[in-house]
Amino acid sequence: MTSKTAITVRVSPAEAQRLWQTPEHRPEYIKSTEATVTFKRAPGDRGTEIHVDLNRQQDGKLGEAVSKLMGSGPRAMVKDELRRFKQKVEAGVIVRSEGAPEGEQASRKLKQRPAQPLQEPKREKAGAR
Amino acid sequence: MRANVWSGRNTVQVENVPDPKLLNDRDAIVKISSTAICGSDLHLYDGYVPTMKRGDILGHEFMGEVVETGSGVSNLAVGDRVVVPFPIACGNCWACTHELFSVCENSNPNAGMAEKVFGHAAAGIYGYSHLTGGYAGGQAEYARVPFADVGPIKIEDDLSDEKVLFLSDIFPTGYMGAEFCEIKGGESIAVFGAGPVGQFAIASAVMLGAEQVIAIDQYDYRLAMAVNRAGATDVINFSQDPDVVEQLKLLTGGRGPDAVIDAVGMEASHGHGALHAAERVKQATRSESDRGHALRDAILACRPGGIVSVIGAYGGLMDKFPTGALMNKGLTIKSGQCHVQRYLKPLYDRVRNGDIDPSFVITHRMELGNAPDGYEIFKHKQDECMKVVLKP
Repeated sequence: MTSKTAITVRVSPAEAQRLWQTPEHRPEYIKSTEATVTFKRAPGDRGTEIHVDLNRQQDGKLGEAVSKLMGSGPRAMVKDELRRFKQKVEAGVIVRSEGAPEGEQASRKLKQRPAQPLQEPKREKAGAR
Repeated sequence: MRANVWSGRNTVQVENVPDPKLLNDRDAIVKISSTAICGSDLHLYDGYVPTMKRGDILGHEFMGEVVETGSGVSNLAVGDRVVVPFPIACGNCWACTHELFSVCENSNPNAGMAEKVFGHAAAGIYGYSHLTGGYAGGQAEYARVPFADVGPIKIEDDLSDEKVLFLSDIFPTGYMGAEFCEIKGGESIAVFGAGPVGQFAIASAVMLGAEQVIAIDQYDYRLAMAVNRAGATDVINFSQDPDVVEQLKLLTGGRGPDAVIDAVGMEASHGHGALHAAERVKQATRSESDRGHALRDAILACRPGGIVSVIGAYGGLMDKFPTGALMNKGLTIKSGQCHVQRYLKPLYDRVRNGDIDPSFVITHRMELGNAPDGYEIFKHKQDECMKVVLKP
């Protein structure tokens, strides 16, 4: 399994790198790993490609299979965080649905809530406004 | 509030659920005045769309009155009357800025799930499985509308709900299907499926200048509406003669239609006996998710160099796809969930101008509490059912 993943964000490389460091956008999980992060100008008007390489084999074969199945491995968490970064930078919010109120979260994939409104305190706990 | 929820294959029920709350600054809450059952809701009802969960609120065609707005929504005010487009779109990503709203890159919070199935995630959709985001739908008394500053269109004229409700999905969907056909005047266009989307595809092809529009269905009452209300010039009832390809060639002097619109999708019901029987088995046992007679025949019937426009909903994989015909005849396929936000204003203007009154498709009006009956009547085409509108 590759240890690399990438996303494209619609701002300039300079702006992407600046936002990457700000408290409201900082990707805490990625920062906590030894991942290599590269910012690269995307072709045309597409913005910036952010490439993340975890640089290592995770958990051995069995652990890898389990975490891939559960969608909860390090690479899945990196992808979640990249998607949330893109949402905050482009749309200004973390996108939430009733079934996935915390927003993009690989570990939610197998245990979605039903798509109906949440009652307090679940709404607040999910981090919604 | 009351809401119509999915509770397993062939079962929906109206239940009491919590009222929706804002989850983000760009959300609004809408008190729903009219909502409809879509043909694509029947794919959920029939159990052919994966990632449904018991308790999911259904419905993606709705309108109503704004009762609350988040701090990021400045274009709408409490009391505004709005129609809500079914794809949820952020308005900021590359896709949205290129008017490709139904493939918004940000609005599906289950993008990781969708990527595994489709390679990429498409936009979030209200009440349409967790693969499209797990959003609560609009067959309810209230709904939360994310990115309310981008999606909803304000209705300021004194037009009834029934005239504007279908701007949410089926009118723009049918229109986009016709627009894909690049009609310049004088074309022959065939439309597979004379359900509500097919009716609007036919009406739009006529509006855009097609000379011959052929409606294909198995129900005479639908073909009669296609001719009398939508403006079809010819009809094919495949329950009388299943060889649709040959009939289309005869109706077009052997040329084949210049463009063919598939307004059927994954539960096509015509086709040649043995293949249809085999496909029913494969789909029922979940070894093939999309039953594809309509799309196969569309490709076989289309004239060389023509366009195949796919607006019927598909969800997975299809067998026996006629790649040879597609390639050797030099066909172009255009497809997609409708980029509704792109069409709202121009089609609202057409309704205001009186070019079209979309309410012609409505055959059944019910209270929200009767939604389960509405699904059954619509599914089994009882009582010449075409379109069910629910009133909360």
